[in-house]
Amino acid sequence: MGLLSKVIGAIISGAGAFILFYGMSDPNMSWVWFFIGLLVISIGFQMLTAGGKQKAPKPPPPTITEVKCDNPTCDFKEIRDFQKGDYVLKPLDAKCPKCGSKMTIQGVYIVKEEDEKDKINV
Amino acid sequence: MSSTQPNDFSWIINLLFFGFIMLFSLYGAKIQMWQWLNQIKMGLGELGRMADDSKQKAIDTFKEFGRGQDEVTKGIERWLDYFTIMPVDLDPAGVLRRLDHLLDERRDRFQEYVRELAPNANSSVDQNLENTLEVTQVLSLIFRVVRHYYILGKKTGSQLIIMQVQMQMPELLRMAKAYYDAIGAFSDGKPIGDGLGPLVISKFARQYGVSSEGYVQEIGREVGYYPVEAEGRTIYALRATGPGGTVGKPGFAVKTLVDQNKGEIARIITVDAALKLEGEETGRISEGTGAAIGDPGPEKHAIEETATENGIGIEAIVVKEDEAGAVGVMEKKVLDAVPEVIERIREVILKRTKPGDKIILAGIGNTIGIGI
Repeated sequence: MGLLSKVIGAIISGAGAFILFYGMSDPNMSWVWFFIGLLVISIGFQMLTAGGKQKAPKPPPPTITEVKCDNPTCDFKEIRDFQKGDYVLKPLDAKCPKCGSKMTIQGVYIVKEEDEKDKINV
Repeated sequence: MSSTQPNDFSWIINLLFFGFIMLFSLYGAKIQMWQWLNQIKMGLGELGRMADDSKQKAIDTFKEFGRGQDEVTKGIERWLDYFTIMPVDLDPAGVLRRLDHLLDERRDRFQEYVRELAPNANSSVDQNLENTLEVTQVLSLIFRVVRHYYILGKKTGSQLIIMQVQMQMPELLRMAKAYYDAIGAFSDGKPIGDGLGPLVISKFARQYGVSSEGYVQEIGREVGYYPVEAEGRTIYALRATGPGGTVGKPGFAVKTLVDQNKGEIARIITVDAALKLEGEETGRISEGTGAAIGDPGPEKHAIEETATENGIGIEAIVVKEDEAGAVGVMEKKVLDAVPEVIERIREVILKRTKPGDKIILAGIGNTIGIGI
């Protein structure tokens, strides 16, 4: 339906332009053709631009939980999906699989990517 | 023969021309109003949807804690209309003290209400529920105010009212969307962008070897501090108590600490999230003079007054983010700014205080999802 109405709109706009330009060559009726041509073009443009699909809202980015080993010499880090009850600096019962030390949640966050189309560079 | 034809049709052209002029000179404003009203109606539909969805989310969240659907729905409906009357400012003397009193009262009523509606929730969850309820209330208020002006504009035909609402609609929708997107964060207890201040404080304390066990509870309402020994100075690293969602009363806590250490505090440093200007990068760090705290007035006044009375230098470090980022789940760019903020705090301490000095470092913000 969307594409069809756009095609019809384009055809009507074209017809309007045809009436406008070729009607002008008729010395007796040029004003009438001018108005009719404008009217037809505006109807065509209306069909071309209307009924655009509403942009579906983007789903929010997933929330990530970052778990790190408390041992300063161990670089173990685990990134997983957020689970209810997680909070930053929460000590976990699970031990580090690399060195066996305790682990703590060091971050709960989202990674938001700005849409390039929304960016205005000045 | 053909030369007489233009006269046959010229009356049509004249009629069309004058008709066009009459139509737009007499009804141009009405046509524009009709367009504006349609635009407001579309925006209002969106605001209404967000208000309804957030209310449903609040009901779903509350009913997990001991009350039935009907009771929760009725209770939330009642709470959405709750209002606070600002103190009279015709006589400004003591207005902040009165405002502080009213805000305390309001907070007490919120807490009492949440306890009633969610009897099985613990104190940390209570605070998150309070935040969820507040977001629902904000969305409902925006919807009701816009609806009021839409109906009023339509009833009176006032161009002034309709035009103002139509022009403000994009900003209102943006603000409402920010809160709408944030409601999930509040109901699930995820840290939000505004929590940067408390997060910096806890990470700063840990960096200098002070853990949650060292945290001194309740120096002020829902505010405590870590006594940190760093760079030869004593630092009172102060923040609201988490991981439940609260901002506490950090301004009055700063005042209490200054009173307890009369003449010994050399500097007050505040850390907070700040709204960025369009075009600025999220996570950008800025420094300045003054108290970085976005309360309605009493807290900021308490810090400024105590700093002025005691001649204490006061400065602020902020991390920039937009409104949606401040009330929504914390962005990685904001979290990544924390080490740099701690480094700048260290610089301030080394440059502008002497060994042996006492310093207050206050992390301002909502502690939801940020443990001590």
